[in-house]
Amino acid sequence: MIEVAEEMRSGWRVVAVRGRADAAAADHLESVLKTAVEANAKVAADFSALDYISSAGIRAVLQAARAAEGRQSEFAVCGLSPAAKKVFDMSGIQHVLRIHRELPC
Amino acid sequence: MLTMLEEVVLLAVDERTGSLCSAREFTTAYALVGAVFFDLALARKIDTGTETIHVIDTAPTGNATLDRVLGEMAQRPDLTTVRQWIEQIFQHQKDLEGEALASLIAQGILRHEKSKLLWIIDIERFPLVEGRHQEHVKERLRRAILGDQIPDTRDIMLVSIAEPCRLLPSLLSEEELAARRERIRLLANLETISRKVSAAIVSLEAAMRSPMTRVV
Repeated sequence: MIEVAEEMRSGWRVVAVRGRADAAAADHLESVLKTAVEANAKVAADFSALDYISSAGIRAVLQAARAAEGRQSEFAVCGLSPAAKKVFDMSGIQHVLRIHRELPC
Repeated sequence: MLTMLEEVVLLAVDERTGSLCSAREFTTAYALVGAVFFDLALARKIDTGTETIHVIDTAPTGNATLDRVLGEMAQRPDLTTVRQWIEQIFQHQKDLEGEALASLIAQGILRHEKSKLLWIIDIERFPLVEGRHQEHVKERLRRAILGDQIPDTRDIMLVSIAEPCRLLPSLLSEEELAARRERIRLLANLETISRKVSAAIVSLEAAMRSPMTRVV
């Protein structure tokens, strides 16, 4: 299960995700991020409170990034928790997405 | 919609002759296990971490091959890593390639031809009845590899299985493959399942080379 909180900050739509981004939460995560991308030119996914992300969660993030690419909007992943960072590092997803240590805004 | 397993096996059919490029090698067999895992992941039946794989829903998918593998996984909660499951399914699998071929024939995409070479050797061919399905899969693969955009989830999975199955040389020129080698590696690495399939293949190849080296 994930909990999502959204806010606007300096022109960025910040989507803060908390909890476990596994297969049970992947559709929700993808939907929330894609909706944010469709409505905003700049979206930052704040994963600093993410306890766990599985392959299904990674796919959801990738597809949100794909949607942003299609709309030529900015999509950044920020503040990865250590657990999430390990998964991101292993997958090499940092070569596909913009990943920031801190929020870009 | 075809399963990942069916799409990969369809790619292995030579469009001119109907022969199978894969020749049922162990590398292909490992990769086909990976394709089944991808099908189960897309159906939200399993999920993977960096090392682990687990069943999250045991309700049948309606596909006999997938449901057999899912049932086997549900009965062995003691096996927890992707690597263990690749080897478990590889050892106990019925012929995943044969099952996918039978399904493609039943769907009217391929037909089955048997003949004899020199009156002795059985030759099996699977000519395309309907070429657009294979062309669609090939086009998605080409676009995923030659483009710079993030591909669709299924297309990332397709690249990551076609690579260890050694199916890409039949789709792309040597120059294209050389130019896009890093892109292929990047896409294939995104998925835990394909990373583990590739590692299992490398490890098995090393194990097979080892006794040969001693003999020589």
